[in-house]
Amino acid sequence: MDHFARLGLPAALDLELAQLDRAYFARQRLWHPDRFVGRPAEERARASIEAAALNDAYRTLKDPVDRAVYLATLKGVELPGDGKTIDDPDLLMEAMEAREALHEATTVDEVEVLAGRARKDVEAALGGLASLLLQDDKPAIRKTLLRLRYLDKFAEEARARRMNIQRPRP
Amino acid sequence: MAYSEKLIDHYENPRNIGSLDKNSEDVGTGLVGAPACGDVMKLQIRVGADGLIEDAKFKTFGCGSAIASSSLVTEWVKGKTIDEAESIKNTDIARHLALPPVKIHCSVLAEDAIKAAIADYRAKTARKDETAE
Repeated sequence: MDHFARLGLPAALDLELAQLDRAYFARQRLWHPDRFVGRPAEERARASIEAAALNDAYRTLKDPVDRAVYLATLKGVELPGDGKTIDDPDLLMEAMEAREALHEATTVDEVEVLAGRARKDVEAALGGLASLLLQDDKPAIRKTLLRLRYLDKFAEEARARRMNIQRPRP
Repeated sequence: MAYSEKLIDHYENPRNIGSLDKNSEDVGTGLVGAPACGDVMKLQIRVGADGLIEDAKFKTFGCGSAIASSSLVTEWVKGKTIDEAESIKNTDIARHLALPPVKIHCSVLAEDAIKAAIADYRAKTARKDETAE
């Protein structure tokens, strides 16, 4: 069962977080270990498997980029896994330049400007993805998702950079 | 997780960080990435008239093992022919730095980066030969 089906949600890019939360918490209550105290071992095992699967589904669908990647995988788009490399020059040049700019940023304000720009890029890329999925343009979907992966990584690095500037090491 | 001394040394004192002029005829540039972890690596070589790699530079945004792997490769390729440099295997890098199994993919990135730099250099030379004819 895929993550969307498990939570009773339509398999789509757009998802309201409140709706996701409701679906998750309702199901999580059903399979909560407290309800299975004193039940036979196989029922308890089943409950813990269901609860873990629900957590996994919730975590994946909550994050917009993870959700997009997951949805595309369901539709047969393959992304390079661990240890696989890519050599798309446009994509990598953009990622390299963004990381360089972040590395050179010395104030929180500078980091914020870069992070803000990256957030807009994420929104635009996710926006474009909806129509690409509709057209089933797999190469373009793949490229957009790879770009989103790098933008996601950039956001993570920007948070770390901001912390470093705010709390310089002794 | 315990990291080897060699790995820590390359991470703390990376060799050959920087850039070469990517438009120069004698410079080959390899730009590769590992999207699963968000790493991006640029590795460049300058090849002398004698066919030996006289300089190598890298810039890596990624984990310590990726930085150490690219640093090591730039050190290894200097003074080698491009054919020799091309024969560097990720397993050699991983063994030298004693990379833990979960970090083996960082050495794959470094191998792919040097191969991409060599391919770029060869493509440039081929183009130059064509124009000369």
